[in-house]
Amino acid sequence: MSAPTLPRPGKGQQLVQLQSRAGRHDFLVALAGNPNTGKSTVFNALTGLRQHTGNWPGKTVSRAEGLFQHGGRKIRLVDLPGTYSLQAGSTDEEVARDFLLFGGPDVTVVVLDATRLERNLHLTLQILEITDRVVICLNLMDEARRHGIAVDPAKLERELGVPVVAAAARNGEGIPALLDAMLAVAKGERTTTPFRVEAYPPEVDTVLREVVPAVTAAFPGLPNARWVALRLLQGDQRIESGIAEGILGGEGAGAVRVASPARGAALLETVNALRWRLKPSFEDSLAEGLYRASEQIAGRVELRGVRRAKFDFDRKLDRLLTSRTFGFPLMLLILTVVFWLTIAGANVPSAMLANLLIDQAHPWLKGLGAMAGLPGWINGFLFDGVYLATAWVISVMLPPMAIFFPVFTLLEDFGYLPRVAFNLDAMFRRAGAHGKQALTMCMGFGCNAAGVVATRVIDSPRERLVAIITNNFSLCNGRWPTQILIASIFIGALAPPALAGLASAAAVVGVAVLGILMMFLSSWLLTRTVLRGEATTFSLELPPYRPPNVLRTLYTSLIDRTLIVLWRAVVFAAPAGAVIWLTGNVHVGGASIAEHVVRALDPFGVLLGLNGVILLAYIVAIPANEIIIPTVLMLTVLTARVAGVGPGDGVMFELDSQMQVATLLKGAGWTALTGINLMLFSLLHNPCSTTIYTIYKETGSARWTVLSVALPLVLGFTLCFLVAQVWRLVT
Amino acid sequence: MQVPAVSPVSPLLALGVFFVLVAVAATLFWPRRGVIARWVRLYRMTERVWLEDALKQVRQMEEGTRPATVESLAGALEVGRGHAMRLVERLVDRGLATSEAGRLALTPAGREYALRMVRTHRLLERYLADQTGMAPADWHEEAERREHALSAAEAERLSATLGNPRYDPHGDPIPTSTGELPAANGRALPAFAAGQAVRVIHLEDEPREPFERLLALGLRPGVGLRVLASDPQGVRFRFDGREHTLPRVVGDQITAVPLAPGDHLDEQVHGTLAGLAPGEAARVVRISAACQGPQRRRLLDLGVVPGTEISVEYASPGGDPVAYNIRGALIALRRTQAELIQVEPRLTQAAS
Repeated sequence: MSAPTLPRPGKGQQLVQLQSRAGRHDFLVALAGNPNTGKSTVFNALTGLRQHTGNWPGKTVSRAEGLFQHGGRKIRLVDLPGTYSLQAGSTDEEVARDFLLFGGPDVTVVVLDATRLERNLHLTLQILEITDRVVICLNLMDEARRHGIAVDPAKLERELGVPVVAAAARNGEGIPALLDAMLAVAKGERTTTPFRVEAYPPEVDTVLREVVPAVTAAFPGLPNARWVALRLLQGDQRIESGIAEGILGGEGAGAVRVASPARGAALLETVNALRWRLKPSFEDSLAEGLYRASEQIAGRVELRGVRRAKFDFDRKLDRLLTSRTFGFPLMLLILTVVFWLTIAGANVPSAMLANLLIDQAHPWLKGLGAMAGLPGWINGFLFDGVYLATAWVISVMLPPMAIFFPVFTLLEDFGYLPRVAFNLDAMFRRAGAHGKQALTMCMGFGCNAAGVVATRVIDSPRERLVAIITNNFSLCNGRWPTQILIASIFIGALAPPALAGLASAAAVVGVAVLGILMMFLSSWLLTRTVLRGEATTFSLELPPYRPPNVLRTLYTSLIDRTLIVLWRAVVFAAPAGAVIWLTGNVHVGGASIAEHVVRALDPFGVLLGLNGVILLAYIVAIPANEIIIPTVLMLTVLTARVAGVGPGDGVMFELDSQMQVATLLKGAGWTALTGINLMLFSLLHNPCSTTIYTIYKETGSARWTVLSVALPLVLGFTLCFLVAQVWRLVT
Repeated sequence: MQVPAVSPVSPLLALGVFFVLVAVAATLFWPRRGVIARWVRLYRMTERVWLEDALKQVRQMEEGTRPATVESLAGALEVGRGHAMRLVERLVDRGLATSEAGRLALTPAGREYALRMVRTHRLLERYLADQTGMAPADWHEEAERREHALSAAEAERLSATLGNPRYDPHGDPIPTSTGELPAANGRALPAFAAGQAVRVIHLEDEPREPFERLLALGLRPGVGLRVLASDPQGVRFRFDGREHTLPRVVGDQITAVPLAPGDHLDEQVHGTLAGLAPGEAARVVRISAACQGPQRRRLLDLGVVPGTEISVEYASPGGDPVAYNIRGALIALRRTQAELIQVEPRLTQAAS
């Protein structure tokens, strides 16, 4: 087993630097809260920015920021990850906590879900321990009313000692009041007296009585001495290094400097000596104390007698969607509809785009280039290479993604996807994975890069890595056209004509199912070998169902997922187009580079039941699976020296009829084995460069990136090789 | 150029070569047992590693009752007497130990070095327990392997990122960076009188098999139990409502202290959350001591603390996971987690 990497020092460094670069605002406001409290909706309501809001715990993993004006002041709003606590157990919690501690926000807005006050107050009380400049946004008041829960905001304000604003951010209710309260606290016009938990277990209290004076002696005027003392007893590394450096609370206005270095050192010494007097499990009792206090406060401000607070509709729907009898059929039905919508719906716009960008615009652009007097090779390089590859990727990729992502997002916002994870968790658990991997896998059928990004919802480190590394086994929509075309030509031909369509469709589905099996198999292998030592936790929140906001979902999922993924693909496709054109047009020793490479790769390719053309196509088309078929056709014509087919050397093309493609490929020596192995290799090969780059960004590790590339490639080579040899033995 | 439709290589030959290659790769790269893994392990056993292991052993003998001699050192390190002799000479040369009349003793410098090794070892075990998913029985071996590779500065950084832990996962105190180590005050479990209620402070992880047996019983540092009988053959005790009998040698691997005044041993038998059926509700008594590290923190943050009322909402189609209502939120937990949450039953919620 390779050694797991040691933990690296804190990830919050970027956050600490935030304020220095954000000099253009008057006030810095942090937005905190539990997952699923409508925090992102509040963020959007405040800033007007369209940030994606999913009905998912742990959505905002990367931080969103917005700048807006209120009362003549510029306010920068930072959306922190939704967390259950600030104990710094996960990356999310670390990011949120570090910002509150060291980012120096002028005000922290805590968003509470009025329907589950007690749970939300747990985090609120932790925040109130750190800072007293807090405004509470009591959100989802509309939902609370619907469920028969009445919360008294005025009473809650008295209990917590900070301003409380009742809101329903979805329809803008309470937002103006929230803005006013925020500004009042930021300007210092409104003072607060935050609630602090009084009773700790006796042995903690005794120790605290010795540490708190040492803290105040070292840092006079520190507003949260007791909290700092507690964190020191827990061995909090960030606080300790803050004390060693002699400054607490970041570099902003709230920073407190050490009275003298000797006092700081004395403090650390005191703490180290006293820590031995605490029970090893005293953290448990801290959590217990906080929850008990939350329970009491919630009990005093909630009026539950109005109507029995039950989520009747939710429960009924859940019984149906997760039932033994209907759970799986309904799930399959819903997912089939999503995929059918995507494939069927994308056909027409894809054809239209291809017609517009390739058939119409391409010759026109070339003509324009020639008219402008561009030399032939520049004209070819630009329009036959760079432009054509980009156009191809857009026309194949954009329509399915523009359908798939919004539909998937609607299901996500409604709250159905966590139920899918719930239903499928048993299967994934056996493979050592997390139920949420079912969703990232589905997302991968749209686009592997998007699937990799989606793994952020998996909060357990090991399971997330598994999901990232195995996402490529989902047959993404860039590979579907290859599968369908090759299956129709080579598999359909094996069946009687009446069944040809069915046989080829079954073959494509079979390849997709093989991908799912491979995903399970490699997840199982990974968690038992290289990932054995990674940490694992499981929890899955099933949020209440919420009606999705259709228009906003369409808008944000288009911006958030479709366009970003498309942009990255285009960035990678353009240079690939250039390379493809160059391989066909740069000649060395009487033959083009492509011919040399194809000849060199051919023996290896044939051994695998493929050929040199396919291998070269997969090398130059790493950036996008969409251009595999056009590249294969171009290379086949080029190397087999077929006259009269295709527009010219190095220019990708597609043929109008399947018959023509079949004749061309079979003429170049393709057999049914070549077809089958191309389908297998299209499933099992390295991820496209967009996905590789995304994997690197998400894992931050070259090691896992290399593994994600090598694993499917090795599997693909092995499987193709074995199929080829067995095929040759049998036939 | 026409692509040859038939491979020039005979398929049988190709398959043969392939399987030979796979076999060779497996023998070379197989984790732990492959040629390369063995070779790396051997290569790592440098002079320094031997000396560090010898230091640790001498320190352990000094602490215990066995006299530290060249013979006992050779036995502990599983090397020949000649090798042990050479190691002792090197230790004496470096001023880390003294050897007088056959008795080995550590010098202050040697003791400091040894204590630093103990610190690194226990920190690594804590790290493996908290931050990785490695099985408890593997912690010791892995820490043993890696402790030599960690510099003092790296050990300090590890300590800081772990939140300067005080105890290793076996319940042993971790020496501080300045070398402070609270005196161990526990006794082996069989040494307690019948009827005595005790709290476990340490589980010895070597040898491995009995340690795994203790883990399987659910014993962990911090749990309370009552000794029922103790004789030269074995020790009988009640833990978590069940009676267990262990052979004396296994019982000796448990170190415990008498219950402190005011510390109360809960001897009621508790069910777990996993034992409840949909529609039933219960109150959390505690999270089992077997649940540690990030898992425990996650459950605490979700609101699973003593006193929390949890009701079972519904099971997934496969029966696992199950959705629970925990403080107003619907949280799905797997069976293995639910089994770690001890509960006392509450009356079923009145039908609405």
